Amino acid sequence: MTWSLWLAQIQAVVRLEMKKTFFSRRGFWVYLLALAPVLVFAGRAFDLARNRQYLQEVADGHSVSTVALESIHTGMTRQEVEEKLGEPYSRRVFEGRRNSRSWLSYTDGTSTYVFVFDGDELRGITVRDRGNFQDDSLIYATFFQFFYLRLLIFFGCVGIFVNLFRGEMANKSLHFYLLAPMRREVLVAGKFLAGLIAATVIFCTSTALQLWMFAIPFGSAATFEKLHAASYIGVTALACLGYGAVFLAAGLLAVNPMLPVAGVLLWEGANLFLPAALKKISIIFYLQSLCPVLAPPEKDMNPLLALLISSAEPTRAPLAIAGLLAVTALILVWAGFRARKLEISYSSD
Amino acid sequence: MSQVSPPPIEQSLITFDNVSRFYGEVLGVNRVTLSIPPGITSLVGPNGSGKTTLMNLMTALVRPTRGSISILGISPDEPENLFQILGYSTQFDAFPKGLTGFQFLYSFLRLFGKTHAECEKLAWKAIERVNLVEAAHRKVAGYSKGMRQRIKLAQAIAHDPRVLVLDEPLNGLDPLVRAETIALFRQLGNEGRHVIVSSHILHEVDMISDQVILLSNGYVVAEGKISGVRSEISEHPMQVLIRCDKPAALAAKVFEQDSVVEARLHADGGGLLVKTRDADRFYKLLNHIALNGIEIETVAPADDNVNSVYEYLIGEESSK
Repeated sequence: MTWSLWLAQIQAVVRLEMKKTFFSRRGFWVYLLALAPVLVFAGRAFDLARNRQYLQEVADGHSVSTVALESIHTGMTRQEVEEKLGEPYSRRVFEGRRNSRSWLSYTDGTSTYVFVFDGDELRGITVRDRGNFQDDSLIYATFFQFFYLRLLIFFGCVGIFVNLFRGEMANKSLHFYLLAPMRREVLVAGKFLAGLIAATVIFCTSTALQLWMFAIPFGSAATFEKLHAASYIGVTALACLGYGAVFLAAGLLAVNPMLPVAGVLLWEGANLFLPAALKKISIIFYLQSLCPVLAPPEKDMNPLLALLISSAEPTRAPLAIAGLLAVTALILVWAGFRARKLEISYSSD
Repeated sequence: MSQVSPPPIEQSLITFDNVSRFYGEVLGVNRVTLSIPPGITSLVGPNGSGKTTLMNLMTALVRPTRGSISILGISPDEPENLFQILGYSTQFDAFPKGLTGFQFLYSFLRLFGKTHAECEKLAWKAIERVNLVEAAHRKVAGYSKGMRQRIKLAQAIAHDPRVLVLDEPLNGLDPLVRAETIALFRQLGNEGRHVIVSSHILHEVDMISDQVILLSNGYVVAEGKISGVRSEISEHPMQVLIRCDKPAALAAKVFEQDSVVEARLHADGGGLLVKTRDADRFYKLLNHIALNGIEIETVAPADDNVNSVYEYLIGEESSK
């Protein structure tokens, strides 16, 4: 009887909250956060398609085989290169007082080869291989772990979960919930569930759309399995769960929740540089452990900062999931306990 | 609303036992000890006297710094039990956004775990009781102040509670609705419910209250039935208005009694206002006089009302 009553009350809270979390003007920016990376990947897909079409057109006019391009090596003269490959589709020359420099560009229809000459001698070869699935998967993994999880989902969850209690305090309407014959813990559970549904729907949809946009340029090569779509969507949902619990508690307990939010942001941001033992007291560590493609954090990083990185063995997936669920449950139980002491003093808030 | 059967005596009172509440350095209420029986009880006091704090303490919207509270045997720390028997219409004039009057009540009732059909039935019943049927499907945000007061009242009574706590429920109501609402309070009080009303409109409090609690600066300065409270204010002689055929003769007679401190003839020559320190003795004297040739038409206490009691107990204090 009690459980069925609690369930009915949770449903009632979720029903009331749903409209607010999905359609509140205050939360509109959360949609922008979720939409932004989709637009970025859509733009990238469009740009790649256009680039490929351009290279194909160039290749049709200046046909060069990949084998011929690969046979060129530094030290060759410009004449030798041009004899072997023919007329480049792009030639740029810089004439200085003492020496001249030139760039000859060729394509096989997929990649661009730029040969750099100092005077007459080939000094460097740059291969621009845009749209390589392996490389781009790593780029996506880096984006997902260092930008999407740490910033977009993080702040999206701030927008959704902090307002569950603090927003109602600001609107002076929280007391209606407190005047119902409902355990405060049930209220916390209902509100969390409502926030979780909203955050999961918004951000998991965003992840799915990002992956779809990411996959478009690769056609059939980028299958659901190769994209690790299920894993990425699962990690997104777990991020909403973990950060959601943290920010619901912040909104419930702190008069100015932005202070704990800033604290969590700093802690999660510093996670990379924390000792292995401290790394594990964070949400991001477990989320990264669950990511299907591990992004090397030191790549493109200032060498001095890279020195500060401490590595910790990623936790095994079942343990990471169980850890996240346990942390979430612990925070919610604590929030429920504190909610029992919750007072309404709108003026002081 | 159904008639409530009388509960056991220990569960029929709202009690405050040495309750204090401080907001940091600021005093909300201090050392309040009260037993509130069924009927209409009015909380009276100037702004900041602690009326709303007392109501919020009853409903666990704020917690006592010390002391304990019991609502018909239930602690405010058990909201799951308390709000089955208590409805509170707060002073906060804000509502969940985007809801119509009906949706507001319906969704509130759903929080009780009731079924869709039950909630619909109870919501409409409450809406009918506060005469808001025509506006039920309009957004609460578009309601007038009076309509918002009524929908809050509907929310408080919708689940048929035994205890109603109403913070300034008559604010913003037009005279007709005000009269209807007072009649509703009377009906609820007569059904044996606790109806606790705060108001600063003293003549209305006088009309509706079975008992009053007078608050000043966070302290309870008096409680009980108005007449009882009045009789305990010894420093102010009781005023009695008498209509009779020979007021001058009556004045001479009443001055024979030591306790009479003043007697003033009415301008129309048809009555007398007497101030006495011993009302019981004075009424006995009047009986005697009535038997001795002076025809007395009416005898009525002139300051046996909330207004006078408030003036004596709080008005003077605040003017000190």
